[in-house]
Amino acid sequence: MWWKILLFLGMSLIIILTFAWPPPQEKLGDVSRIFFFHVPVAWVSVLAFLVAMINSVRYLKTKNLRFDTDSAIASKLGLLFTFLATVTGSVFAKAAWGSYWNWDPRETSLFILLLIYGAYLALRSAIPEETKRAALSSVYSILAFVTVPFLVFVVPRVFKSLHPTDSIVDKSLKVQMSGQVSALFFPSLIAFTVIFFWMYHLHRKVEARVSQKEARFVR
Amino acid sequence: MKPKYIIAGVVVVIFLVFGAFSLKKSLTPYVNFAQAQKGGTVQIIGKLVSGTDFYDAETQKLAFTLTDEQSQHQMKILYNGVKPGNFEQATEIVAIGQYKEGTFEADQLLVKRPSKYQGLEQPS
Repeated sequence: MWWKILLFLGMSLIIILTFAWPPPQEKLGDVSRIFFFHVPVAWVSVLAFLVAMINSVRYLKTKNLRFDTDSAIASKLGLLFTFLATVTGSVFAKAAWGSYWNWDPRETSLFILLLIYGAYLALRSAIPEETKRAALSSVYSILAFVTVPFLVFVVPRVFKSLHPTDSIVDKSLKVQMSGQVSALFFPSLIAFTVIFFWMYHLHRKVEARVSQKEARFVR
Repeated sequence: MKPKYIIAGVVVVIFLVFGAFSLKKSLTPYVNFAQAQKGGTVQIIGKLVSGTDFYDAETQKLAFTLTDEQSQHQMKILYNGVKPGNFEQATEIVAIGQYKEGTFEADQLLVKRPSKYQGLEQPS
């Protein structure tokens, strides 16, 4: 219970401080503050898809349907966070560059990511039979994750893009953020990660109850 | 690891790399300057050649030269509208418009600015 209170206080503090504390980025102005939400949310979506992939592997190894359910939950959350990253990115694009969407490689790659995991959900809803659905979605989820590092990390470094490239780390992976910015960025990253795991945990609890009730019904 | 998993993994990676290469053209909306000259509404991206920008605030006409770093081609751009903020410090500029008789007439300019988030504590 205590960690929930801590999360609530921490997140509230982060939101307030984002607008009150670090000075805005030199050239971009106040719109740069979206950095404290946009980046953690994008990071969490990668984390969610990783969790989904790990659960898929576990399902294929053990054939325990619980892992397939967990994988689906993680993928849905990942899709939600990817959507949030896209929306916050689009808002930033309009303010910083003047256009909500111009199919910049960064925007296109995130859109493709949305399609890939959207297709995952479509795949799941198309197969009523449990074990078949689990097997197919697990394989799909593993393959889908192989594309994630490419789409999220490689594309913006290979193609010319409007997206900021050296806000967090430079080419030698040295942190580029100043003290105040770092002090707010890393806690935000942690807070969003905690939120993700909490949502994941809650969804799993709900699914467990639902399947319990269903089992009783069948009998 | 079973050999068949390794083979499957290698096949997947080969297909992905192949897919990535064929996808390369469609992943970016920006065409090179030679392609832009062929006509149609396109997006081009490049660096501002410093000193070439002229802005007439009364008629709101901005003219400048863009250079493609890889091919070293240059293109004259004409834009009708308000000069974007921090224009001279832009690291990349995207012009969306059409090439007409030697000049690229841009309907829209998207400006990428330096993005190191260091606030005002450190000099940039």
